[in-house]
Amino acid sequence: MTEIVGLRDALISQIDGCAAGAVARPGTEADAVDGVVPAIVAEPGSPEAVAAVLGWASDHGRSVVVRGGGTKLGWGPPVDAVDVLLSTRALNAVEAHRHGDLTATVQAGAILADVNAALAAHRQWLPLDAPHGERATIGGIVAANDSGPRRQRHGPPRDLIIGMTLARADGVRAKSGGIVVKNVAGYDLARLLTGSFGCLGVILTATFKLAPAAEASRTVQATLSEARQFAQVAAGLLARGATPTAVELAWPPPTMLLRFESIAAVAVQQAEQAAALVRDGGGGVTVLADADEAAAWRRHEARIFGGGGTIAKLVVLPSDLSATLARLDEAARGLSLDCEVVGRAGLGVLYLRLTGAASAQASLVRGLRGRIPAGRGSVVIRRADRELRSLVDVWGPVGDGLPLMRQVKRRFDPRGILNPGRGPGGL
Amino acid sequence: MPVDAQFLAELGRIVGPDHLVRDEGELSTYESDGLVSHRSRPRAAVLPETAGQVQAVVRLCRRVGVPFVARGQGTGLSAGALPHPDGVLIVMTRMNRVLDIDIPNQRITVEPGIMNLEVTRRVAPDGYYYAPDPSSQVICSIGGNVAENSGGAHCLKYGFTVHHVVGVEAILPDGEMIHLGGAAVDSPGLDLLGVLVGSEGTLAVVTKVTLRLLRRPESVRTLLAAFDSTDAAGNAVSDVIAAGIIPAAIEMMDRTTIRAAEAAVSPGFPAAEAVLIVELDGPQPEVAARFEQIEAICDRNQGWGVQVARDEAQRGRIWRGRKAAFAAMGRVAPSYYVQDGVIPRSKLPEVLRRIRDLERRSGLTIGNVFHAGDGNLHPLVCYDDAVEGQAELAEEVATEILSYCLDAGGSLTGEHGIGADKACHMPKMFDEADLATMRFLRRAFDPAELCNPDKLLPTPRLCGEVPGPYRAHPVEAAGVAERM
Ligand SMILES: Cc1cc2nc3c(=O)[nH]c(=O)nc-3n(C[C@H](O)[C@H](O)[C@H](O)COP(=O)(O)OP(=O)(O)OC[C@H]3O[C@@H](n4cnc5c(N)ncnc54)[C@H](O)[C@@H]3O)c2cc1C
Repeated sequence: MTEIVGLRDALISQIDGCAAGAVARPGTEADAVDGVVPAIVAEPGSPEAVAAVLGWASDHGRSVVVRGGGTKLGWGPPVDAVDVLLSTRALNAVEAHRHGDLTATVQAGAILADVNAALAAHRQWLPLDAPHGERATIGGIVAANDSGPRRQRHGPPRDLIIGMTLARADGVRAKSGGIVVKNVAGYDLARLLTGSFGCLGVILTATFKLAPAAEASRTVQATLSEARQFAQVAAGLLARGATPTAVELAWPPPTMLLRFESIAAVAVQQAEQAAALVRDGGGGVTVLADADEAAAWRRHEARIFGGGGTIAKLVVLPSDLSATLARLDEAARGLSLDCEVVGRAGLGVLYLRLTGAASAQASLVRGLRGRIPAGRGSVVIRRADRELRSLVDVWGPVGDGLPLMRQVKRRFDPRGILNPGRGPGGL
Repeated sequence: MPVDAQFLAELGRIVGPDHLVRDEGELSTYESDGLVSHRSRPRAAVLPETAGQVQAVVRLCRRVGVPFVARGQGTGLSAGALPHPDGVLIVMTRMNRVLDIDIPNQRITVEPGIMNLEVTRRVAPDGYYYAPDPSSQVICSIGGNVAENSGGAHCLKYGFTVHHVVGVEAILPDGEMIHLGGAAVDSPGLDLLGVLVGSEGTLAVVTKVTLRLLRRPESVRTLLAAFDSTDAAGNAVSDVIAAGIIPAAIEMMDRTTIRAAEAAVSPGFPAAEAVLIVELDGPQPEVAARFEQIEAICDRNQGWGVQVARDEAQRGRIWRGRKAAFAAMGRVAPSYYVQDGVIPRSKLPEVLRRIRDLERRSGLTIGNVFHAGDGNLHPLVCYDDAVEGQAELAEEVATEILSYCLDAGGSLTGEHGIGADKACHMPKMFDEADLATMRFLRRAFDPAELCNPDKLLPTPRLCGEVPGPYRAHPVEAAGVAERM
C-alpha cells in the first residue's frame, strides 16, 4: 500500500514538474468517477499545462478522464480504473466576445450560465440551454453535443461551433476552424470532437456563433387529453408558419410547453395562435411570461434531470412519435416501471427517466431498440447505475460506421489513454 | 501497378462499356472543373449508375493501387475534382434520382448527382425548399455541395450544407459501404458525417444523401440601398449585425460589379460606389419591424436611392442584377482572378479600405461582389493577358488580398474549398501540428492515399506548382449560371 502511495506521489510531482501550472494531488472519494477514485487529480492552469499532462500520461500509458462540471461523468459504460482525472475548472475564461461579429471564444472549463451572463452585456447569448446550465461546462456540453429545448431553433453545439483548440492525446496542441462564421478551410475537426465524449482529444477552447437575445418571450403551457395530440400540435404549429423556439412535450399526463421569442408583437401573437390551436383540440392553456415562464422551464428540466433513476435519450422521427409513446407506455406498464418523458416534439428527441428493477429497464431498452429501424432513431443510456449498464450496452447499435470510428480513435489516441472504452460505441 | 488493358476491361465490365470513357478527346471534357487553369487528364472516366458499381470501381482501384477522384457537375472553383493523371475519374452525374420524399418529417433522400435546384423543385408544391442556394444551383450537384460544404446568399440565416445533411451512404476508399447519420436527427457514435461534409471528396465517395427540408417563410422583403463608399456600406453591414438582426441575406456590390451588372441585365441599380441588398424573411410583423430598423441603419450611414421590392417581379429584378454581376465581369475586363477569403464581418470597412489601397498601388481594377453578412469576400482582380506581366501581377495582388483576410483573423476560403488550388496556402492558416492532426483523419479513412490525393492538404508534389488565373467556366460564360 505505501509502495503504491509512494509511486503515486512520485507521479504527482512529475506531472507538476513537467506541466508548469498544473496542480496535481491524490484523488479522493469526492473525485470518484462512476464510483472509482482516480489515482491522481490534475487541475492545469493553462492550455500548455493540459497538453503537458496529456503528454506525460501518454508517455507513461496512463488513462485520462476529463472532468468539466462533473454533470455527465456517470455516462458511458462502467469504469474499471482511472489513473488521471483531468479537471478543466481552472480554464474558465471567456477569451473573447466579438460582439460586433456575434462570435465568442470560450475556454472549456467555463460554466454555461457564467458564459451567458457575460455575453448578456451586449444582449447576446450562446444559444444552448442544455441541462444543468448552472454547473455544466462548455467543454462538457460540446464533448457530449448536449442541448436543450431551444435546439428547435438554434440547433445543437455541432451547428454552432466554428472553431476549436484542442490538446491531442500525445500532448500536442492543435486547432481547427477559426473565428469567422463561414469557413471551409481544412477538415472540420471541431465538429468531429463535438460529441466525441473526450475520447479523441481534450477541448481547450471553443468558438461559437452567437444569437442576439430575443426582445420578448412567451410560453404556452398546454394540457392535452391524450399523448397522441403531441404530434398534431407540433405539426399544426409548423404548418401555420409559426416560428417557435421550443416545442416541448412532457408526459404523463400529456402537457406541452411552446415557446415563442421575437419582437413582442410576434411573440404575443404566435403564442395566442398556438393557444387557440390547443383549445380547438380540446386542451387547456395558460400563456406565461417573465418569472412564471422561467419557473415553468426550470420545472420542465427538473422533471427528468432533477430526479433519480435512469436517464435515457430516445430519438425517433417526428412521425413515429405517437406510436413510440404508446409502445413505451405499454412496455413500462407491463414491466412495472415508472417512466417520465420530456422532449423535443418538433425534432423527435425524447429524454426518459426510468425507475424500477434494472432487469426490467434493460428489457424496455432492448425492446425499444428492436423496434427502431437503422437510421430512424436510437436509444442511448445517459445516466444509470452500474447494474443496468452491465446488463445492456449504453450506446446500442452504432451502425456500419463503427469500424471506421475505431480507426479514427486509433489515429487520434494510438495508446488508448483518453476515456478508454467509454467513448461513443465503446471507443 | 498502373492502369493497363486488363484493368480497363474490368472497369468496362463494372459500368458497362458505354459508360467507360477512354477516348482522349472525350476525356478532355473532364480535364478541369470550374477553375480551368488547372488541367489534367485521367487515364479513364467511369459513369456508374448504382452505388454497387461505385463500390466495385473503388474496390478495383484499391486492389490495384490506382488513385480515383469523384466528380459531380464539375462546377467547383478550387480544382477539387481535378483528375489524377494516373487515375480514374468517377463521374456521378448518372446517379441523379430522388429516392424518397418524406414531407411529414421534412426529409428528402437523393442520389448525389442530382442538381441542387432540382431538390427544391421536387418539394416546392408542398410548400418546402432546400435552403443552401449556391448561385450555381442550376448546374451543381448535391454530391459536390456535400463535398464542398457549399453556401449561398441565404446561408447567413439558414446555415450551410453541413446544417442540412442528416445522413449519407458512402463508399470508403477500401470499398466498404457505410451509412452515417440517417433520417433521425442524432445518431450514436462519432460525428463522422459532420466531418465528411466539406472534406472535398478526399474521404469517401458519397452515393446517397438525406437532406432536411424547410418550410417557406411567411413573408419576404427585399431592399437595395446605395452608398458613396464601400466603407459606408461595410459600416451599415456591421451595424445590422451589431443591432442583433440576422437577415436572410446581405450582399454587397461595388462600383465595378454594379457597372458590369448594368451592362449585362440593366437591373436599374444606382451608379454608386456600393450597393447593399438586404433580404428579410419570417413572420410578417417581425419582418416589418426589422425592415424599419434596417432602413434607419442605411440612413445613418448615408445610404440613398433606397429601392424596396414591392412584388416578386421587383425582387427578381434585384436578385438578377446581383447574380449577373459575376458572369458580366467579362464586359469590363478581359480576365480576372477570383478569391473566396473570409473576414470577421466587423472588419469589412477596414479590409475593403486595404483592398482599395492595393487597387490604387497595383493599377489593377479590383471588383467585389460578395456575401457581406458572412464576411465572405469575392474580390475579382481584373487584368489583361495581352499586357506583358499583368497576369503575374494579378496573381500577386490576389494572394496579397488573401493575406489581408488572414491578418484580419479570417479564412482562406468561405465556400469554394481548398482543392488543389489553395492547398499550398494552407500553411498560412494552419501550423504543422494542425495539419498533422487533419492527416490523422485522412489516414483513418484512406490509409492507402488513393481517394482524391493531392487535394486539401499541402503535398510536396502539389506545392511545386503555381496556381493559375480564373477564367469563366463554359456554362458561366454562356450566361447559364452566375457566380456569387
Ligand atoms: C458560376 C458558378 C457559381 C458558383 N457559386 C457558388 C456559390 O454561390 N456558393 C458556393 O458554395 N459555390 C459556388 N460555386 C462553386 C461550385 O458550384 C460548388 O462548389 C459546387 O458544390 C460544386 O458542385 P459540383 O457538382 O460541380 O462538384 P464538382 O466540381 O464536380 O466537385 C467538387 C468536389 O466534390 C467532390 N465530389 C463530387 N461529387 C462527389 C461525391 N458523390 N462524393 C464525394 N465527393 C464528390 C469532388 O471530388 C470535388 O472535390 C459556383 C461555381 C460556379 C461555376
